[in-house]
Amino acid sequence: MNTVIALWMRGLKAFVRNKTGLIFSLIFPFFFVYVFGAIFKNDYIDNPISYMLSGVIITTVFESSLNLASSTVDDMVSGFMKEVLVSPAKRLAVAVGQLLSAATVSTLQGILILFIGLFIGIKFTTWITPVLILFAMICVGMVFSGVGLFLATKVRSGQTFQIIKTAVTMPLTFLSGAYIPLAMLPNLLKYIAYVNPMTYATAFFRMIVLEKTSLTNAELVKEGLAIDINGFIVTPVLSLIIILLIGLVFIILSTNSFVKTDFSRLNRSSNDASALWG
Amino acid sequence: MKPIISVKNFTKAYGDFTAVNDISFEVEEGSIFAFLGPNGAGKSTTINTLCTIFEKTSGTLIIDGKDASTQKSEVRSSIGVVFQDSTLDAKMTIEENLKMHCVFYHVPKKEVEERIQFVLGLVDLLGERKKLVSALSGGMKRRVEIARGLIHYPKVLFLDEPTTGLDPQTRAHIWEYILKLQKERNITIFLTTHYMEEAEICNKIAIIDRGVIVAHDTPYALKKEYTKDKAYITTKNGPELERLMSQYEVSYVRKEGYYKADAEQIDRLLQVISLQKEDITDIEIKKGTFNDVFLEITGKKIREEE
Repeated sequence: MNTVIALWMRGLKAFVRNKTGLIFSLIFPFFFVYVFGAIFKNDYIDNPISYMLSGVIITTVFESSLNLASSTVDDMVSGFMKEVLVSPAKRLAVAVGQLLSAATVSTLQGILILFIGLFIGIKFTTWITPVLILFAMICVGMVFSGVGLFLATKVRSGQTFQIIKTAVTMPLTFLSGAYIPLAMLPNLLKYIAYVNPMTYATAFFRMIVLEKTSLTNAELVKEGLAIDINGFIVTPVLSLIIILLIGLVFIILSTNSFVKTDFSRLNRSSNDASALWG
Repeated sequence: MKPIISVKNFTKAYGDFTAVNDISFEVEEGSIFAFLGPNGAGKSTTINTLCTIFEKTSGTLIIDGKDASTQKSEVRSSIGVVFQDSTLDAKMTIEENLKMHCVFYHVPKKEVEERIQFVLGLVDLLGERKKLVSALSGGMKRRVEIARGLIHYPKVLFLDEPTTGLDPQTRAHIWEYILKLQKERNITIFLTTHYMEEAEICNKIAIIDRGVIVAHDTPYALKKEYTKDKAYITTKNGPELERLMSQYEVSYVRKEGYYKADAEQIDRLLQVISLQKEDITDIEIKKGTFNDVFLEITGKKIREEE
């Protein structure tokens, strides 16, 4: 348990100390809000700022949790993971510590953006909304920390991993409805969006932020908060269940994989692509 | 004395390549033991397997009565490890690194502060404890790692190439700390090195080459067995010196401008020299070095393969 707390604190400290990183992690979301908010001003959405902000917040939580958990690869490359693994600390505790710290820091980033968002257009009518928002951010943070850690345990070379990670996160972000409403996507991309877990995270989260909990299914679909897959309506609640299931699977997979991984096989210097997936 | 490390018939293979081939050795408690050999000889493989990071292919490795492959957690608690490459968390301070280490090794909370003082005092870093590791020099980082490796009071401290890449002054300091440790805390120190002069400080040495232990003894015995003292003589009258050396059965080699003579039988050599003192202009006697030992045993210089 102490190991979990120590690694969790380590993640938090690193977050607080990295001032430049913090500023940039705030600049990009608002840049996206500004750009996409301007583009979609009058088409589908009545409150573009809130609409965009909700998407930006949840993608930030998504990207940052994935990045942070997979930064376990950096810990292997820098050697720190070797120090951990040669100690009597339980590997499971190490995995949980890494997951929790990634989920917490990404949730904090989400909260920061939300906080600034309060001054530029997000409004709540009930105190339940922020509580639900927090809950949703923690969920999404945990889910994608699991995915990130899982990727990290499968990796064999630090440098190529960066490229792969970008190649994975970019389409997941842009085909989730967070920036671009799904209705505007061509059919092929729509189908890709349907298998993208982020689509469901976004829909669920947006419903909470926009406080549209009382709408009918048809209205939800029209607002882009429920996903209509050829007549089958994925409601926000169903979205949440899908996300949690995916999360559960990846958290189990990642901790299991972390406990079993032979980190001595990690190639610390090579950037050979063939060395990536062992 | 009883052995604290006991390795029997240890083999480690990676596919077709056998990194370590059926080696056996013991390390006495409280001693300094060095593994000597060129890069790729199997030193790090052995250390990593003893430290429970690698899996053995066959054999038994016992540390402090515990099996390194079946009682990993117990072995991990009783050893400290300083790896070849830094394993510090560069984004944290020295103090934070040490505290984190104490958590991993279940050091009782109320002892942590006292132990931090002790180990940092040992490596002269008490004043830098709040500094970020990323701001430290290479030598300081190594000292922090040694301090960290000790903070949980291990019985055996593994040092994989502890002084590689450091300047001579820092190397000397690191050795000071190592010797101080051995004296004060009776810790067994297991290290690998390819610096010959460092090997001479140790109590026992195993020379490893291509995964096999080729010699295993005290530095003194190894030198005695594998090296000869040599005399380098410059003279104005070469033919006369050659005649005398043949007469007194001193073996020699004629080199460009000087003679390299065997100085093991010093009495005979002195006879030769006293008979030719008018002509000899310079004599230098060189003791055998560990480079010679290594050269003699393996037929190559230790740094050759780098």
